[in-house]
Amino acid sequence: MKRLLKIATREYLAYIKTPGFWLSILLLPLGFSMLAIGPALMRGTTPPPAIAVVDLTNRGLASAVVHDLNAQDDGGRPLVRLVHAPGGPFVDAADASAHLRPYLSDERRLPGGDRLDVVAILRPVGSTVAVDVWNRQVADRSVAGAVSNAVNAALRRQVLTRAGVNPAVVAAIEGVSAPVTDFSPRAASGKVELRDRLPGIVGFGMGFLLWMAVLTGAGMLLGSVIEEKSSRILEILLTSASVPEIMGGKILGVAGVTATVLTFWLSIGALVVAFRFPSAGADLAAILLGKGYLAYFAAYFVGGYLMFATLYVTIGAFCESPREAQTLLGPMMILMSVPLVFMSQAISRPDSPLLTALSFFPLFTPFMMAARVATSPPLWQIAGTLLLMGTLTALEVWVAIPAFRSGALTSGRFEMRTFLASLTRRGE
Amino acid sequence: MQAALTVDGLTKRYGKMTAVDDLSFQARTGRIMGFLGPNGAGKTSTLRMVLGLVEPTAGRISVLGASDAAQVRARIGFLPEERGLYRRMTPVDAIAFLAGLKGMSDADARRRARELLESQGLGEAMHRQIRLLSKGMAQKVQLLAALAHEPDLVILDEPFSGLDPVNQQSLEALIRSIVDRGATVIFSTHVMQHAERLCDQVVLLAGGRKVFDGAVADARSAAPRRVVIEGHFPEDSLADLPGLDGLTTERVDGGGLRLTATLSPNAPSQVVLARVFSKELAIDRFELREPNLHDAFIVLTAAAYVEGVAV
Repeated sequence: MKRLLKIATREYLAYIKTPGFWLSILLLPLGFSMLAIGPALMRGTTPPPAIAVVDLTNRGLASAVVHDLNAQDDGGRPLVRLVHAPGGPFVDAADASAHLRPYLSDERRLPGGDRLDVVAILRPVGSTVAVDVWNRQVADRSVAGAVSNAVNAALRRQVLTRAGVNPAVVAAIEGVSAPVTDFSPRAASGKVELRDRLPGIVGFGMGFLLWMAVLTGAGMLLGSVIEEKSSRILEILLTSASVPEIMGGKILGVAGVTATVLTFWLSIGALVVAFRFPSAGADLAAILLGKGYLAYFAAYFVGGYLMFATLYVTIGAFCESPREAQTLLGPMMILMSVPLVFMSQAISRPDSPLLTALSFFPLFTPFMMAARVATSPPLWQIAGTLLLMGTLTALEVWVAIPAFRSGALTSGRFEMRTFLASLTRRGE
Repeated sequence: MQAALTVDGLTKRYGKMTAVDDLSFQARTGRIMGFLGPNGAGKTSTLRMVLGLVEPTAGRISVLGASDAAQVRARIGFLPEERGLYRRMTPVDAIAFLAGLKGMSDADARRRARELLESQGLGEAMHRQIRLLSKGMAQKVQLLAALAHEPDLVILDEPFSGLDPVNQQSLEALIRSIVDRGATVIFSTHVMQHAERLCDQVVLLAGGRKVFDGAVADARSAAPRRVVIEGHFPEDSLADLPGLDGLTTERVDGGGLRLTATLSPNAPSQVVLARVFSKELAIDRFELREPNLHDAFIVLTAAAYVEGVAV
């Protein structure tokens, strides 16, 4: 045990002392902060697009469309900035687009030096109207959507008015909106509130965090074993400690690193929630502490970590270089992307039979069960999945001990024959 | 004297290839034993079996009185053939870590690491990362890591490879100091000069089998003595000298001749010398060359291969 702890301490300090560790531990919260504030920052630093509306319909739609567009806002600021189309009036749509295209490609500027971003040309098509939206941003559909809504609303108003409907009634029709309230027997008070949706969100978040932490930790172990094997340190270690002590020490050491990372990230998350969203923070604390979710997540984290760590340590013992390891782990990573796809589905449909079935595949268990926490899975499912995971881990350990020794002392590329031979020799 | 290591009928097969074949020997406590043999002779495989790193196919091993090296691993120090240490660790941390695994307390291990590094002239480098040290310095650090816990049995696999002559000399002194405190040293090498200077006993392997086990002097006697005669004399004037085989002659600077020959096992060199003088030839040099371990190594391994011992 003393040797195991010594190896664990060395492993832990070896990571904690590197600048790369602190860089990576700080980069994730920074990345999430950028994700959170990025869109607002973009909006704040980009002026609303300047739009010119050209009405060729002679149906007086322009003023209604302009009114509608002016009324729409984008997070507290105007959606668009309306400008006059330079060079009008135009004979037809072709004439308008020919005149206005140079403004959209910056060959010409509006009076005053402003640039033009969007041109909406309303043109008659039979008894109805079509809209051509010219936009300097090919991928931006938001302004085109807003223009379409405004034109459709104006056309509906005209149809109703022509049919003799009182304008006050038309305005009332446009204002009709039935309030919808969500109820569910799973909600604490019947009425679904944020605190009732939180478990699903927390489950997805924890599942994702576990996925990242477990695979990152296992990856660290893989790298560490490869380094020790290629530099022949493993050979010295094997004359100083038993295989279970070496494997256990390494797994424990990296578990410490992963726990440090998780504690750091969760503490930052908790601080942000506590100061920025205090009421949600209280709900979150109540959910995590009150329903035993912490123990639930801890069980799947520990089980998942042990399962993947043992697997990766054993693979590492057979690899001489990271490139060899990548070849072996490539198919594994494709497989491990499956839980990511289904975890997000668990937010809205946590009790889907497919998700339940996937939870019983041990390699997916820790992530799927974390994501399904909102359904409060029955005890038999929790016990069953933990048992399956434990069985697989025990099987891995059974295979890993002789395989690790054999792999650590073998030089050259990974050979399935060597690996299988190490298993058959375990009794010697 | 009690044996620190006893190997009896040790065999290791990898598939159809026999790496070590029915090997038996003893290494006496407090002595230096050289484990000699050409590349691929089975030295490293044997040492790995002794250390418990590899399971033997057959045979028995007793290390420091235990049947399994794992039971006495804290009393064994090992330097592998292929060196390696944690590159980002400092020498003092690396030595203390490995000594700690052998059972030393943290404080003792660090104190001992500092003492060893100071005594080996690595005091200034003790807090520098190993990746920044020269190859020779790093190799020395690894050796010190194998010795820090003062093991009773030290196993060094090719300890001299990669060291410059100055460091080789300092390593020889270190090996002698290990034995001076009563420990046993077993080292493998294919450089005979080190074994000749250091060893009380040598075990010579060829093709996985033992071809010699005994004192260095006994090993030397397996090779023939040689006679060298230089001077100005006709080429065929010494053809009838008694007790000489395999005569070869060559011209030397100044126009003279050099004759080299093997002295028959029981032939006295004085008789050869007397016959040379009786011929009243102009002799400048008469030398009797005693065989060294290198000669013995060549003869013994060659004989083993001729007898078909080697696989």
